[in-house]
Amino acid sequence: MSGRSVSERADHLSRRRARILPVLAIIYITQQASYISMRTGTAVRTVDQVKISAWLVLSAVLLAALATKGFWFQPREVRSMIDDEVTRTNRADAMRFGFIFAMLTCIVVYFITMFEAVDGRDAVHIVMSDGLGAALIRWGWLERRAHKDG
Amino acid sequence: MAERLANRLKERRAELGLTQAELAERVGVTRKTVNTVENGVFTPSATLALKLAQALGLNVEQLFWIER
Repeated sequence: MSGRSVSERADHLSRRRARILPVLAIIYITQQASYISMRTGTAVRTVDQVKISAWLVLSAVLLAALATKGFWFQPREVRSMIDDEVTRTNRADAMRFGFIFAMLTCIVVYFITMFEAVDGRDAVHIVMSDGLGAALIRWGWLERRAHKDG
Repeated sequence: MAERLANRLKERRAELGLTQAELAERVGVTRKTVNTVENGVFTPSATLALKLAQALGLNVEQLFWIER
């Protein structure tokens, strides 16, 4: 790795991110299934609190990765190059997509409240997960397309 | 009518015997950026277009043009 130039290193990390993003999105969305199944139970156990906390931490980390250059432990020049023009454009597109998706989810949740009460915490959970999940999937797709040759 | 920014990046790069990675190194971007500009997936900013043209020894107008 140390023999590589900054550009090669940035490209390697960028490719890795393009591969990891869809996996992260799947893990993140899968976590929602455990949250929904947990809601069917009556009492909230300690393990459930841990799961909710894990979701919250993962959400914050993913949001930070989306909103910043990411790769926080890499040298500054590598981080700057990873966040080059195409990446910034893809990131902005993904965030726009995530925002629209979150707003659409808000409309759906609002509609549901006309027929069934939705807990504030649940509403936040659903909107945040949908918005972040959609943005991650979009970003992953755009990055993979950008890396594709031809 | 739809307009798109066409380029002869690939041809010029091949003329100079440069790989995408080598051009990326000269310009200070990742290979991904060179790849997307070459394929017309990404429309570069004026700054990047100027840098690419400079690295390939051409004017911007010789490297990029609008196709209708």
